[in-house]
Amino acid sequence: MLSRASRQRWWRRAAIAPGTPLPQRRLFLLPTRFGLGWAVLVLLLLLFGINYQNSLAYGLSFWLFAVAAVALLRTWRNLLGVRASLRLPAETFAGGEARLGVMLDGGRARHAIEVHAPEASASVSLPEGHGEADLALPAGARGEHPLPLLRLESAWPLGLVRAVAWLASDETLLVYPRPLADEIPEHRQAGAGLEATDFAGLRRAEPGDSPARLAWKQWSRTGVLAAKAFSVPPRQQLWLDYDACRGAPETRLSILCARVLAHHQAGDRYGLRLPGVTLAQGEGAAQRRQALTALARFRPAGTPGGVR
Amino acid sequence: MSRHVAPPAVLADGRALSAAMLRRLFVGQCLVLALHLAFMPAWLAGLAALVAGYRYLQLRRRLPRAGVVLRLAGVAALTGGLWLHYGTLGRMESMIGLLLGVYLLKLLETHNRRDARVVVLIGMVATTVAFLHDQGIPMAAGALLAVAWLMHSLVWLAGATSARQAWRESAWLLGLAAPLMVLLFLVFPRIGPLWNLPQAERAATGLSDEIAPGDIAELSRSDRRAFRVRFEGAEPASDERYWRVYTLSEFDGERWRRVSPERLAAGLGRELRDLVAEGPRSPWPDDAEPRFTAELLLEPDSRPWRPALGTPLESDERLRWLADGTVEGLVPLASRSLLRLSSSGLAPSWPEPLGERWHTRLPDDTNPRSRALAERLWREAEGEPRAFLAALMARFGEAPFRYTLSPPRLTSRDRVDEFLFESRAGYCTHYASAMAVLARSVGLPARIVAGFLGGERHPDGHFTVRDYDAHAWVEVWLDGAWQRLDPTAAIAPERIEQGAEAVEDGGDAFLADSPFSPLRMRELGWVNRLRLDWERLEYRWQRGVIGYRDESRSAFLVRVVEELHALWGALLGLLPGRGLLAWLVGLALALGALGGVAAGLGLAWRRHREGRDEALRIRRLQAWLAQRGMPPHDGESPAAHLRRLADSTGAAGPALRDCAHQLERLRYARLGPAERRTRRRVLSRRVAEVRRRLARQGVTG
Repeated sequence: MLSRASRQRWWRRAAIAPGTPLPQRRLFLLPTRFGLGWAVLVLLLLLFGINYQNSLAYGLSFWLFAVAAVALLRTWRNLLGVRASLRLPAETFAGGEARLGVMLDGGRARHAIEVHAPEASASVSLPEGHGEADLALPAGARGEHPLPLLRLESAWPLGLVRAVAWLASDETLLVYPRPLADEIPEHRQAGAGLEATDFAGLRRAEPGDSPARLAWKQWSRTGVLAAKAFSVPPRQQLWLDYDACRGAPETRLSILCARVLAHHQAGDRYGLRLPGVTLAQGEGAAQRRQALTALARFRPAGTPGGVR
Repeated sequence: MSRHVAPPAVLADGRALSAAMLRRLFVGQCLVLALHLAFMPAWLAGLAALVAGYRYLQLRRRLPRAGVVLRLAGVAALTGGLWLHYGTLGRMESMIGLLLGVYLLKLLETHNRRDARVVVLIGMVATTVAFLHDQGIPMAAGALLAVAWLMHSLVWLAGATSARQAWRESAWLLGLAAPLMVLLFLVFPRIGPLWNLPQAERAATGLSDEIAPGDIAELSRSDRRAFRVRFEGAEPASDERYWRVYTLSEFDGERWRRVSPERLAAGLGRELRDLVAEGPRSPWPDDAEPRFTAELLLEPDSRPWRPALGTPLESDERLRWLADGTVEGLVPLASRSLLRLSSSGLAPSWPEPLGERWHTRLPDDTNPRSRALAERLWREAEGEPRAFLAALMARFGEAPFRYTLSPPRLTSRDRVDEFLFESRAGYCTHYASAMAVLARSVGLPARIVAGFLGGERHPDGHFTVRDYDAHAWVEVWLDGAWQRLDPTAAIAPERIEQGAEAVEDGGDAFLADSPFSPLRMRELGWVNRLRLDWERLEYRWQRGVIGYRDESRSAFLVRVVEELHALWGALLGLLPGRGLLAWLVGLALALGALGGVAAGLGLAWRRHREGRDEALRIRRLQAWLAQRGMPPHDGESPAAHLRRLADSTGAAGPALRDCAHQLERLRYARLGPAERRTRRRVLSRRVAEVRRRLARQGVTG
């Protein structure tokens, strides 16, 4: 037997990249245990036919043999030319799960295609020629991870043989630190303070405005969609500092992660200071993403290889 | 077809089978069991229902999973039931019952996909085993249904999401596989049994090898088929269809018995090989020419008898040829099978090794009145055997004797006396028995032959001989040969001409056991036509499909070759001015084929060169350089080698550098075909330049 590592290497060599139609040379047919059982069955029936000179037994054994041959072709054909592409999860926190979407496009109807990752699997049928399998990968440690080698597999229509192909992607999965909620500081909770303020006038609505803040009455009157503007109390301007946290590096990153989430939800302006990395103060989804990415990519001193 | 979503084969946990899948497995079991039920004890159906019921309740969570104890108890009950039913477990039927029972009980421990697949595989085996019972068209159709259902279950197990999809896929699989199956069936070599297996026992119906008045009336009531036959060449006329099966030569005063060669040899102290011989042809010296060549399609029977029109002479397989002019198979028939047998149409013409004494034996003190009658008739015939026999026949044709299938019972010890002088009513057995006794009592060697007379001719030329065609007649040794003598012909000639059903008097007895037999409706034209059509189809099926053996296979292959040959001939015939044009066409085809091969090879060579060309060129250049004392270092790449030399070779330097550059571009850059060609040309020019310049240097320096 090959060692695990060399098997992995071999699979990687045989793998296709996402987005290319599965070519004939990268598609492998392997017999299953049931397939071996079927072979024994055919042999048994043939012996039965020979020993009892029984024509119908001959006929049935030949038929089952022929069915196996046809099933072989149909299994192979079921996976041939399937185009798989990956949809990375929007965000993944360590310890959670990464929902990796595998979109399959077969061009014609395909059946019962299984997608296997080392620790997750999903099955999908493509009656219309396309479909998507959702793999719930357990997200590992914080950091940047290469995507695992995926295996596409189908035993359709009888389970006598499996058609197998491997799918390797160059993309990486960015895993944010696990948010550590214990030490959410004394900041106001989500949205607190935003509603309690005075109405300050109308401004032109922009996409993304909360429906609650749209001035529906004005809209019905004038036909112009406007949003209500409130005079917001000065929001907090703050710095999230690595050095100000206590604990092991990973704990600190987890705390910072939780804070980023909390401040984003509260609508605060915040900046992030990590040793060697400084993120200027900002707000909104972009700031959140940059902050979380910085946390995920951060390499504490003394671990030159990064966290893997 | 409605497009509602059927429940999948396995539950959401990916392991446990859904109730719908279990239901499908159960339906499959019912279909397979149905194939067996006509031949197996009916309580197996009860077992199926019990197991399914338990499984149903278990799914409704009222019962725990069947534990080891319950399953073992199930197997024990099954074994006990079979033992009670058959009295033994060694018989074929009980083994089939065991297989079926295990197949049904397996549902108790079927919980995941793998178990379900095992159940389906056992189902396939059980379907095949059903062919031991019967291989007729209804069985084949039932098996087709069962196999289709099992296949569709497998497609469900592989992940089908709707019934429509599962059936579609199974239809594709079975349909696409069918041509390959037919091809394999036609060309796969048929070999004999590899080892002996237990055979299913058949209830011995049909002929009996022992007759006492009364037996054959019972036989006459059954319309079971005994065998079917087709003649190659001449067909026998209706009064020639005497199928000899057994000779009965031992008479104890009440009944006639057949004595097997083994018993005869043991009882009379003879060598067995004087009485029976194995081989493909009869070893006995018979003068008669083979007149009829029959292709018999025999029904399964536990006894190895084989019918022959007259004396059997030659066959296509090894048989046991008995000295009394009958023939047996080497083994009983477990299934219908074909046999070619040619025969003379006449009784044997060789003296039996047992001699006359054996065939004139009568128990001393029985049937005194009959003996007296025989002696009187013998005297009246003045010792002339032919006249004596004619007188006997004439006597039977006279008034008080009548032919009936339900004669009064004969109970006394002197049955022949009772028949000849009191009841005077009977059928073939009575008349044959009386005739043989009368002949023997005046010293004429005589024996009874049991067999069949007649048969129904189908429009396509084959005959069906049924149990009610069973008949008995007499053979008398006269003038150096056995002569057939049928007293029934004297009393009821229509029995000989038209068959058993023609005898009006038969009335109630004829087909008394088969109230629903379609044979009862002969008068209804369309029913009879349907029956005949069905029987013809059945015959063709049995002969062509079930009887497909090695000879049929060889014949088929020969025919295919001939057909191909004829087709080729016809193709040639289509061409005008045959000779020359045929040659021209052949030449064109050959040239085309040659051209195709050449083009293919050329393409392959170009593909090959594509990658190798520049590498080869550079390697040659390097070898040339090495010869001139400029070899590459260990581990140095060709390009590095050339570049290193470029610094020290002066005039050849730029060319060398360009060689290295072009090589790298060709090797590693992504190039279009046009650019690749250009660069390759440049490379070859540069290589030539290097050689030229260095050679000149070599001359100068």
